[in-house]
Amino acid sequence: MAYRTVKVEKGEGGWGGPLYITPTEKRNKIACITGGGIHPVAQRIAELTGAEAVDAFKTSVPAEEMACVVIDCGGTARVGVYPKMGVLTVDVTPTFPSGPLMAFINEKNFVSGVKPKNVILVEGSEEVAHEKIETAPSREAQVIAPSVPQEVPRRSFIERIGRGMGGIVAIFYQAGRETVDQVIRNIIPFMAFVSTIIGIILYSGIGNVIAKIIAPLAGTLPGLLLISLVCALPVLSPLLGPGAVIAQVVGVLVGVEIGRGNVPPQFALPALFAINPQVGCDFIPVGLTLGEAKPETIEIGVPAVLFSRQITGPIAVIIAYLFSFGLY
Amino acid sequence: METLAHIAEGFIGLFKEGGKVFVSLLTGIIPTLITLITAVNALIKFVGQERIERFAQKITGNIVLRYTVLPVMAVFFLTNPMAYTFGRFLPEKYKPAFYDAAVSFVHPILGLFPHANPAELFVYMGIAQGIQKLNLPLGPLAIRYFLVGIIVIFLRGIVTEKITQAMLARRGSEL
Repeated sequence: MAYRTVKVEKGEGGWGGPLYITPTEKRNKIACITGGGIHPVAQRIAELTGAEAVDAFKTSVPAEEMACVVIDCGGTARVGVYPKMGVLTVDVTPTFPSGPLMAFINEKNFVSGVKPKNVILVEGSEEVAHEKIETAPSREAQVIAPSVPQEVPRRSFIERIGRGMGGIVAIFYQAGRETVDQVIRNIIPFMAFVSTIIGIILYSGIGNVIAKIIAPLAGTLPGLLLISLVCALPVLSPLLGPGAVIAQVVGVLVGVEIGRGNVPPQFALPALFAINPQVGCDFIPVGLTLGEAKPETIEIGVPAVLFSRQITGPIAVIIAYLFSFGLY
Repeated sequence: METLAHIAEGFIGLFKEGGKVFVSLLTGIIPTLITLITAVNALIKFVGQERIERFAQKITGNIVLRYTVLPVMAVFFLTNPMAYTFGRFLPEKYKPAFYDAAVSFVHPILGLFPHANPAELFVYMGIAQGIQKLNLPLGPLAIRYFLVGIIVIFLRGIVTEKITQAMLARRGSEL
Protein backbone atom coordinates (compact mmCIF):
# COMPACT_ATOMS: atom_id res chain seq x y z
CA MET A 1 0.00 0.00 0.00
CA ALA A 2 1.41 3.36 -1.01
CA TYR A 3 1.04 6.10 1.54
CA ARG A 4 0.86 9.76 0.67
CA THR A 5 2.43 12.70 2.44
CA VAL A 6 0.41 15.44 4.08
CA LYS A 7 1.57 18.80 5.24
CA VAL A 8 0.08 19.92 8.55
CA GLU A 9 0.28 23.64 9.20
CA LYS A 10 -0.36 25.46 12.43
CA GLY A 11 -3.86 26.86 12.76
CA GLU A 12 -5.11 30.16 14.09
CA GLY A 13 -3.13 31.14 17.16
CA GLY A 14 -1.12 27.95 16.92
CA TRP A 15 2.57 27.25 17.03
CA GLY A 16 5.19 25.12 15.29
CA GLY A 17 5.19 23.11 12.11
CA PRO A 18 4.61 22.68 9.31
CA LEU A 19 4.96 18.93 9.75
CA TYR A 20 5.21 16.55 6.85
CA ILE A 21 3.60 13.26 7.76
CA THR A 22 4.29 10.19 5.65
CA PRO A 23 3.13 6.86 7.08
CA THR A 24 5.29 3.81 6.44
CA GLU A 25 4.56 0.07 6.57
CA LYS A 26 5.47 0.04 10.21
CA ARG A 27 4.34 3.48 11.25
CA ASN A 28 0.90 3.27 9.75
CA LYS A 29 -1.45 4.50 12.45
CA ILE A 30 -2.79 7.96 13.16
CA ALA A 31 -3.26 7.77 16.91
CA CYS A 32 -6.01 10.00 18.20
CA ILE A 33 -5.97 10.83 21.89
CA THR A 34 -8.67 13.43 22.26
CA GLY A 35 -10.79 11.96 25.01
CA GLY A 36 -12.63 9.36 22.97
CA GLY A 37 -13.60 9.16 19.33
CA ILE A 38 -11.68 10.09 16.20
CA HIS A 39 -11.14 13.81 15.94
CA PRO A 40 -11.91 15.32 12.48
CA VAL A 41 -8.24 16.31 12.16
CA ALA A 42 -7.11 12.72 12.72
CA GLN A 43 -9.80 11.55 10.33
CA ARG A 44 -8.59 13.87 7.62
CA ILE A 45 -4.93 13.00 8.07
CA ALA A 46 -5.88 9.32 7.84
CA GLU A 47 -7.97 9.83 4.71
CA LEU A 48 -5.35 11.86 2.89
CA THR A 49 -2.37 9.70 3.77
CA GLY A 50 -4.12 6.36 3.50
CA ALA A 51 -3.16 5.37 7.04
CA GLU A 52 -5.54 4.10 9.66
CA ALA A 53 -6.98 6.37 12.32
CA VAL A 54 -7.07 4.72 15.73
CA ASP A 55 -8.83 5.90 18.83
CA ALA A 56 -5.89 5.53 21.16
CA PHE A 57 -8.05 6.48 24.08
CA LYS A 58 -9.70 3.08 23.81
CA THR A 59 -7.05 0.96 22.13
CA SER A 60 -3.45 1.45 23.02
CA VAL A 61 -1.06 2.01 20.13
CA PRO A 62 2.67 1.42 20.52
CA ALA A 63 4.61 4.61 19.87
CA GLU A 64 6.68 2.97 17.14
CA GLU A 65 3.54 2.26 15.09
CA MET A 66 2.35 5.86 15.12
CA ALA A 67 2.77 7.92 11.96
CA CYS A 68 1.69 10.83 14.09
CA VAL A 69 -0.46 11.50 17.12
CA VAL A 70 -3.39 13.88 17.35
CA ILE A 71 -3.99 15.35 20.81
CA ASP A 72 -6.11 18.08 22.38
CA CYS A 73 -3.76 19.02 25.16
CA GLY A 74 -3.94 22.50 26.68
CA GLY A 75 -0.32 22.46 27.68
CA THR A 76 0.83 20.29 30.54
CA ALA A 77 1.48 16.61 30.01
CA ARG A 78 0.61 15.10 26.62
CA VAL A 79 1.97 18.12 24.85
CA GLY A 80 5.50 17.01 25.66
CA VAL A 81 5.17 13.25 26.02
CA TYR A 82 4.96 12.38 22.34
CA PRO A 83 7.61 14.81 21.12
CA LYS A 84 9.87 13.22 23.73
CA MET A 85 9.10 9.76 22.35
CA GLY A 86 9.92 10.97 18.86
CA VAL A 87 6.35 10.93 17.55
CA LEU A 88 5.15 13.78 15.35
CA THR A 89 2.52 15.58 17.39
CA VAL A 90 -0.53 17.42 16.08
CA ASP A 91 -2.31 19.38 18.79
CA VAL A 92 -5.80 20.62 17.93
CA THR A 93 -5.74 23.28 20.65
CA PRO A 94 -3.56 26.36 20.05
CA THR A 95 -0.94 25.55 22.65
CA PHE A 96 2.57 26.90 22.87
CA PRO A 97 5.44 24.74 24.11
CA SER A 98 5.03 24.42 27.86
CA GLY A 99 4.91 21.95 30.67
CA PRO A 100 7.68 19.95 32.24
CA LEU A 101 8.71 18.38 28.94
CA MET A 102 8.81 21.68 27.09
CA ALA A 103 12.45 21.19 26.13
CA PHE A 104 11.55 18.32 23.80
CA ILE A 105 9.00 20.32 21.83
CA ASN A 106 10.20 21.99 18.66
CA GLU A 107 8.90 23.17 15.31
CA LYS A 108 9.92 19.94 13.62
CA ASN A 109 7.94 17.59 15.86
CA PHE A 110 5.02 19.70 17.04
CA VAL A 111 2.27 21.78 15.51
CA SER A 112 -0.76 23.22 17.31
CA GLY A 113 -4.09 24.92 16.75
CA VAL A 114 -4.68 22.53 13.85
CA LYS A 115 -8.06 22.38 12.14
CA PRO A 116 -9.00 19.95 9.33
CA LYS A 117 -8.37 22.67 6.72
CA ASN A 118 -4.74 22.97 7.87
CA VAL A 119 -4.07 19.42 6.66
CA ILE A 120 -2.99 19.57 3.02
CA LEU A 121 -2.00 16.79 0.67
CA VAL A 122 1.51 17.29 -0.65
CA GLU A 123 1.52 16.72 -4.37
CA GLY A 124 5.11 17.61 -5.09
CA SER A 125 6.50 15.02 -2.68
CA GLU A 126 8.88 12.49 -4.13
CA GLU A 127 6.68 9.42 -3.78
CA VAL A 128 3.80 11.17 -5.43
CA ALA A 129 6.00 12.46 -8.22
CA HIS A 130 6.93 8.89 -9.10
CA GLU A 131 3.33 7.84 -9.27
CA LYS A 132 2.35 10.84 -11.29
CA ILE A 133 3.73 9.39 -14.47
CA GLU A 134 1.16 6.66 -14.65
CA THR A 135 -1.73 7.40 -12.40
CA ALA A 136 -1.97 11.20 -12.41
CA PRO A 137 -2.52 11.41 -8.68
CA SER A 138 -3.20 15.11 -8.88
CA ARG A 139 -6.71 14.32 -9.99
CA GLU A 140 -6.94 11.75 -7.29
CA ALA A 141 -5.82 14.36 -4.81
CA GLN A 142 -8.53 16.71 -5.94
CA VAL A 143 -11.08 14.03 -5.36
CA ILE A 144 -9.80 13.32 -1.91
CA ALA A 145 -9.11 16.84 -0.75
CA PRO A 146 -12.60 18.26 -0.53
CA SER A 147 -14.08 15.19 1.10
CA VAL A 148 -15.70 16.14 4.33
CA PRO A 149 -14.47 14.33 7.43
CA GLN A 150 -16.88 11.66 8.52
CA GLU A 151 -19.42 12.68 11.06
CA VAL A 152 -18.06 12.71 14.55
CA PRO A 153 -20.03 10.35 16.78
CA ARG A 154 -22.70 12.20 18.69
CA ARG A 155 -21.80 13.19 22.18
CA SER A 156 -23.93 13.22 25.25
CA PHE A 157 -25.12 16.49 26.68
CA ILE A 158 -22.87 16.25 29.75
CA GLU A 159 -19.86 15.41 27.65
CA ARG A 160 -20.46 18.46 25.48
CA ILE A 161 -20.73 20.75 28.52
CA GLY A 162 -17.59 19.24 29.92
CA ARG A 163 -15.70 19.81 26.68
CA GLY A 164 -17.06 23.36 26.39
CA MET A 165 -15.91 24.25 29.88
CA GLY A 166 -12.59 22.59 29.24
CA GLY A 167 -12.18 24.70 26.12
CA ILE A 168 -12.89 27.96 27.97
CA VAL A 169 -10.53 27.09 30.78
CA ALA A 170 -7.85 26.12 28.27
CA ILE A 171 -8.17 29.50 26.54
CA PHE A 172 -7.84 31.42 29.81
CA TYR A 173 -4.96 29.24 30.88
CA GLN A 174 -3.16 29.85 27.61
CA ALA A 175 -3.92 33.59 27.84
CA GLY A 176 -2.47 33.66 31.35
CA ARG A 177 0.62 31.81 30.26
CA GLU A 178 1.24 34.25 27.41
CA THR A 179 0.67 37.18 29.75
CA VAL A 180 3.11 36.03 32.40
CA ASP A 181 5.61 35.25 29.67
CA GLN A 182 5.27 38.79 28.28
CA VAL A 183 5.52 40.35 31.71
CA ILE A 184 8.67 38.43 32.52
CA ARG A 185 10.35 38.86 29.16
CA ASN A 186 9.30 42.39 28.24
CA ILE A 187 7.94 44.38 31.14
CA ILE A 188 9.95 43.45 34.24
CA PRO A 189 13.36 43.84 32.55
CA PHE A 190 12.44 47.36 31.48
CA MET A 191 11.11 48.06 34.98
CA ALA A 192 14.46 47.03 36.41
CA PHE A 193 16.21 49.42 34.04
CA VAL A 194 13.78 52.25 34.77
CA SER A 195 13.95 51.74 38.56
CA THR A 196 17.74 51.89 38.46
CA ILE A 197 17.70 55.16 36.52
CA ILE A 198 15.04 56.71 38.75
CA GLY A 199 16.88 55.61 41.88
CA ILE A 200 20.10 57.22 40.72
CA ILE A 201 18.33 60.42 39.67
CA LEU A 202 16.44 60.78 42.93
CA TYR A 203 19.27 59.89 45.30
CA SER A 204 22.28 61.48 43.67
CA GLY A 205 20.99 64.94 42.96
CA ILE A 206 21.57 64.58 39.23
CA GLY A 207 17.84 65.23 39.13
CA ASN A 208 18.44 68.92 39.84
CA VAL A 209 20.66 69.18 36.77
CA ILE A 210 18.18 67.29 34.60
CA ALA A 211 15.32 69.40 35.94
CA LYS A 212 17.05 72.55 34.67
CA ILE A 213 16.98 71.09 31.14
CA ILE A 214 13.69 69.18 31.17
CA ALA A 215 11.45 71.60 33.07
CA PRO A 216 11.54 74.49 30.59
CA LEU A 217 11.26 72.06 27.66
CA ALA A 218 8.51 69.77 28.94
CA GLY A 219 6.73 72.34 31.11
CA THR A 220 5.88 74.90 28.43
CA LEU A 221 4.08 74.65 25.10
CA PRO A 222 6.93 76.18 23.03
CA GLY A 223 9.35 73.76 24.68
CA LEU A 224 7.19 70.76 23.81
CA LEU A 225 6.79 72.00 20.23
CA LEU A 226 10.55 72.30 19.96
CA ILE A 227 11.02 68.72 21.17
CA SER A 228 8.46 67.39 18.70
CA LEU A 229 9.94 69.38 15.80
CA VAL A 230 13.42 68.04 16.49
CA CYS A 231 12.32 64.43 17.05
CA ALA A 232 10.30 64.50 13.81
CA LEU A 233 13.22 65.67 11.62
CA PRO A 234 13.33 63.13 8.77
CA VAL A 235 17.09 62.65 9.30
CA LEU A 236 16.63 62.00 13.02
CA SER A 237 13.29 60.24 13.37
CA PRO A 238 14.39 56.84 11.97
CA LEU A 239 17.36 56.89 14.37
CA LEU A 240 15.25 57.72 17.42
CA GLY A 241 12.69 55.03 16.71
CA PRO A 242 14.12 51.60 17.55
CA GLY A 243 12.30 49.87 20.40
CA ALA A 244 10.94 53.24 21.44
CA VAL A 245 13.86 53.26 23.87
CA ILE A 246 14.52 56.98 23.54
CA ALA A 247 10.84 57.80 24.01
CA GLN A 248 10.71 55.51 27.04
CA VAL A 249 13.79 56.99 28.70
CA VAL A 250 12.69 60.58 28.03
CA GLY A 251 9.23 59.60 29.27
CA VAL A 252 10.77 58.40 32.52
CA LEU A 253 12.80 61.63 32.91
CA VAL A 254 9.73 63.78 32.33
CA GLY A 255 7.74 61.55 34.70
CA VAL A 256 10.31 62.00 37.45
CA GLU A 257 10.17 65.78 37.04
CA ILE A 258 6.35 65.71 37.15
CA GLY A 259 6.59 63.67 40.34
CA ARG A 260 9.01 66.17 41.85
CA GLY A 261 6.73 69.05 40.95
CA ASN A 262 9.04 70.69 38.38
CA VAL A 263 6.65 70.05 35.49
CA PRO A 264 2.90 70.68 35.94
CA PRO A 265 0.90 67.40 35.76
CA GLN A 266 -1.47 68.53 33.02
CA PHE A 267 1.54 68.71 30.71
CA ALA A 268 1.70 64.93 30.85
CA LEU A 269 -0.71 64.66 27.92
CA PRO A 270 1.03 66.96 25.41
CA ALA A 271 4.38 65.60 26.59
CA LEU A 272 3.32 62.07 25.64
CA PHE A 273 2.95 63.27 22.04
CA ALA A 274 5.94 65.61 22.04
CA ILE A 275 8.44 62.90 22.95
CA ASN A 276 7.09 60.48 20.39
CA PRO A 277 6.56 61.93 16.88
CA GLN A 278 9.19 59.46 15.67
CA VAL A 279 7.15 56.38 16.58
CA GLY A 280 7.67 53.63 14.03
CA CYS A 281 9.85 55.75 11.71
CA ASP A 282 12.57 53.10 11.90
CA PHE A 283 10.08 50.40 10.99
CA ILE A 284 8.34 51.78 7.88
CA PRO A 285 9.70 49.29 5.29
CA VAL A 286 9.09 46.33 7.61
CA GLY A 287 5.59 47.49 8.53
CA LEU A 288 4.70 48.01 4.87
CA THR A 289 6.09 44.59 3.99
CA LEU A 290 3.87 43.08 6.69
CA GLY A 291 0.98 44.78 4.90
CA GLU A 292 2.14 43.08 1.67
CA ALA A 293 3.02 46.36 -0.04
CA LYS A 294 4.81 46.36 -3.40
CA PRO A 295 8.44 47.60 -3.54
CA GLU A 296 7.32 50.78 -5.28
CA THR A 297 4.86 51.54 -2.49
CA ILE A 298 7.62 51.11 0.05
CA GLU A 299 9.92 53.39 -1.93
CA ILE A 300 7.31 56.16 -1.82
CA GLY A 301 5.89 55.26 1.58
CA VAL A 302 9.10 55.82 3.54
CA PRO A 303 9.60 59.50 2.61
CA ALA A 304 5.84 60.11 2.69
CA VAL A 305 5.54 58.99 6.30
CA LEU A 306 8.74 60.79 7.39
CA PHE A 307 7.62 64.02 5.77
CA SER A 308 4.10 63.69 7.17
CA ARG A 309 5.49 63.41 10.70
CA GLN A 310 7.25 66.76 10.39
CA ILE A 311 3.80 68.29 9.91
CA THR A 312 1.65 66.11 12.16
CA GLY A 313 4.16 65.82 15.04
CA PRO A 314 3.82 69.42 16.27
CA ILE A 315 0.08 69.51 15.41
CA ALA A 316 -0.43 66.47 17.64
CA VAL A 317 1.22 68.35 20.51
CA ILE A 318 -1.11 71.32 20.02
CA ILE A 319 -4.19 69.07 19.93
CA ALA A 320 -3.05 67.29 23.08
CA TYR A 321 -2.33 70.64 24.73
CA LEU A 322 -5.90 71.79 24.01
CA PHE A 323 -7.23 68.53 25.43
CA SER A 324 -5.15 68.88 28.58
CA PHE A 325 -7.23 71.74 29.97
CA GLY A 326 -9.01 70.59 33.08
CA LEU A 327 -7.03 67.36 33.21
CA TYR A 328 -5.53 67.89 36.67
CA MET B 1 38.05 54.84 57.02
CA GLU B 2 35.03 56.94 57.79
CA THR B 3 35.12 58.58 54.38
CA LEU B 4 35.20 55.14 52.76
CA ALA B 5 32.17 54.10 54.77
CA HIS B 6 30.38 57.24 53.64
CA ILE B 7 31.15 56.50 50.00
CA ALA B 8 29.95 52.93 50.39
CA GLU B 9 26.76 54.10 52.03
CA GLY B 10 26.10 56.58 49.26
CA PHE B 11 26.82 53.95 46.66
CA ILE B 12 24.39 51.45 48.20
CA GLY B 13 21.88 54.28 48.72
CA LEU B 14 21.60 54.80 44.97
CA PHE B 15 20.39 51.24 44.53
CA LYS B 16 18.29 51.13 47.68
CA GLU B 17 16.36 54.02 46.20
CA GLY B 18 16.13 52.16 42.88
CA GLY B 19 14.95 49.05 44.73
CA LYS B 20 12.17 51.04 46.38
CA VAL B 21 11.03 52.28 42.98
CA PHE B 22 11.21 48.72 41.60
CA VAL B 23 9.08 47.28 44.41
CA SER B 24 6.51 50.05 44.06
CA LEU B 25 6.26 49.32 40.34
CA LEU B 26 6.05 45.56 40.96
CA THR B 27 3.31 45.78 43.56
CA GLY B 28 1.54 48.80 42.12
CA ILE B 29 1.40 47.98 38.42
CA ILE B 30 2.19 44.33 37.73
CA PRO B 31 -0.81 42.65 39.45
CA THR B 32 -3.40 44.75 37.60
CA LEU B 33 -1.39 44.43 34.42
CA ILE B 34 -1.31 40.63 34.60
CA THR B 35 -5.04 40.17 35.17
CA LEU B 36 -5.96 42.83 32.62
CA ILE B 37 -3.70 41.42 29.92
CA THR B 38 -4.90 37.87 30.63
CA ALA B 39 -8.54 38.91 30.23
CA VAL B 40 -7.87 40.76 26.98
CA ASN B 41 -5.73 37.93 25.58
CA ALA B 42 -8.55 35.48 26.32
CA LEU B 43 -11.11 37.82 24.73
CA ILE B 44 -9.02 38.00 21.56
CA LYS B 45 -8.88 34.20 21.42
CA PHE B 46 -12.64 33.91 21.93
CA VAL B 47 -13.42 36.37 19.14
CA GLY B 48 -11.00 34.65 16.78
CA GLN B 49 -8.84 36.19 14.10
CA GLU B 50 -11.09 35.19 11.20
CA ARG B 51 -14.06 37.15 12.49
CA ILE B 52 -11.90 40.22 13.05
CA GLU B 53 -10.44 40.03 9.55
CA ARG B 54 -13.88 39.69 7.99
CA PHE B 55 -15.01 42.85 9.76
CA ALA B 56 -11.81 44.73 8.92
CA GLN B 57 -12.24 44.10 5.21
CA LYS B 58 -15.67 45.72 5.27
CA ILE B 59 -14.52 49.08 6.58
CA THR B 60 -11.53 49.79 4.32
CA GLY B 61 -13.50 51.90 1.83
CA ASN B 62 -14.55 54.66 4.21
CA ILE B 63 -11.87 57.32 4.67
CA VAL B 64 -12.83 58.02 8.30
CA LEU B 65 -13.04 54.39 9.42
CA ARG B 66 -9.87 53.55 7.47
CA TYR B 67 -7.73 55.74 9.71
CA THR B 68 -9.63 55.37 12.99
CA VAL B 69 -11.51 52.11 13.57
CA LEU B 70 -9.30 49.97 11.31
CA PRO B 71 -5.96 50.85 12.93
CA VAL B 72 -7.44 50.80 16.45
CA MET B 73 -8.86 47.33 15.81
CA ALA B 74 -5.61 46.18 14.26
CA VAL B 75 -3.56 47.32 17.24
CA PHE B 76 -6.04 46.03 19.82
CA PHE B 77 -6.54 42.57 18.35
CA LEU B 78 -3.26 41.85 16.56
CA THR B 79 -0.97 44.00 18.73
CA ASN B 80 2.42 45.43 17.74
CA PRO B 81 3.89 44.45 15.22
CA MET B 82 1.31 42.11 13.62
CA ALA B 83 -1.20 44.99 13.44
CA TYR B 84 0.45 46.23 10.25
CA THR B 85 -0.61 43.08 8.39
CA PHE B 86 -4.08 44.63 8.05
CA GLY B 87 -2.48 46.81 5.38
CA ARG B 88 -3.01 43.92 2.98
CA PHE B 89 -6.74 44.67 2.86
CA LEU B 90 -6.03 48.10 1.35
CA PRO B 91 -5.09 49.29 -2.15
CA GLU B 92 -1.38 50.12 -2.50
CA LYS B 93 -1.88 53.89 -2.44
CA TYR B 94 -3.39 53.76 1.07
CA LYS B 95 -0.86 51.42 2.63
CA PRO B 96 1.69 54.03 3.84
CA ALA B 97 -1.09 56.11 5.39
CA PHE B 98 -2.56 53.07 7.15
CA TYR B 99 0.84 52.06 8.49
CA ASP B 100 1.36 55.60 9.77
CA ALA B 101 -2.00 55.59 11.54
CA ALA B 102 -1.57 52.11 13.01
CA VAL B 103 1.98 52.58 14.28
CA SER B 104 1.04 55.93 15.82
CA PHE B 105 -1.54 54.14 17.96
CA VAL B 106 0.72 51.56 19.58
CA HIS B 107 1.39 53.95 22.49
CA PRO B 108 -1.88 55.90 23.02
CA ILE B 109 -3.56 52.50 23.54
CA LEU B 110 -1.23 51.58 26.42
CA GLY B 111 -3.01 53.50 29.18
CA LEU B 112 -6.15 51.39 28.76
CA PHE B 113 -4.90 48.23 27.02
CA PRO B 114 -1.27 47.50 27.82
CA HIS B 115 -1.44 44.05 26.16
CA ALA B 116 -1.09 45.73 22.77
CA ASN B 117 2.54 46.70 23.21
CA PRO B 118 3.94 45.57 26.57
CA ALA B 119 7.58 45.93 25.50
CA GLU B 120 7.15 49.68 25.10
CA LEU B 121 4.95 50.26 28.12
CA PHE B 122 7.16 52.95 29.59
CA VAL B 123 6.49 55.50 26.87
CA TYR B 124 3.23 55.92 28.77
CA MET B 125 4.17 54.48 32.16
CA GLY B 126 7.29 56.64 32.52
CA ILE B 127 5.20 59.79 32.51
CA ALA B 128 2.28 58.12 34.30
CA GLN B 129 4.39 57.14 37.29
CA GLY B 130 5.09 60.85 37.87
CA ILE B 131 1.35 61.46 38.03
CA GLN B 132 1.02 58.52 40.44
CA LYS B 133 3.73 59.97 42.62
CA LEU B 134 1.56 63.07 43.07
CA ASN B 135 -1.35 60.79 44.12
CA LEU B 136 -3.41 61.92 41.15
CA PRO B 137 -5.70 59.42 39.37
CA LEU B 138 -4.36 57.86 36.15
CA GLY B 139 -7.77 57.26 34.55
CA PRO B 140 -8.24 60.76 33.10
CA LEU B 141 -4.78 60.72 31.53
CA ALA B 142 -5.26 57.22 30.06
CA ILE B 143 -8.64 58.00 28.50
CA ARG B 144 -7.50 61.35 27.08
CA TYR B 145 -4.33 59.79 25.68
CA PHE B 146 -6.54 57.20 23.94
CA LEU B 147 -8.99 59.76 22.50
CA VAL B 148 -6.39 62.29 21.40
CA GLY B 149 -4.52 59.32 19.90
CA ILE B 150 -7.50 58.54 17.68
CA ILE B 151 -7.72 62.16 16.52
CA VAL B 152 -3.99 62.23 15.80
CA ILE B 153 -3.92 58.96 13.83
CA PHE B 154 -6.88 60.12 11.76
CA LEU B 155 -5.06 63.33 10.94
CA ARG B 156 -1.84 61.43 10.21
CA GLY B 157 -3.70 59.04 7.92
CA ILE B 158 -5.18 61.90 5.90
CA VAL B 159 -1.94 63.88 5.66
CA THR B 160 0.16 60.86 4.72
CA GLU B 161 -2.46 59.74 2.18
CA LYS B 162 -2.32 63.18 0.50
CA ILE B 163 1.48 63.24 0.52
CA THR B 164 1.61 59.73 -0.97
CA GLN B 165 -0.81 60.75 -3.70
CA ALA B 166 1.17 63.89 -4.50
CA MET B 167 4.40 61.89 -4.74
CA LEU B 168 2.73 59.32 -6.97
CA ALA B 169 1.38 62.03 -9.22
CA ARG B 170 4.80 63.63 -9.53
CA ARG B 171 6.22 60.30 -10.60
CA GLY B 172 3.34 59.80 -12.97
CA SER B 173 2.93 56.41 -11.39
CA GLU B 174 -0.26 54.46 -10.90
CA LEU B 175 -0.38 52.13 -7.96
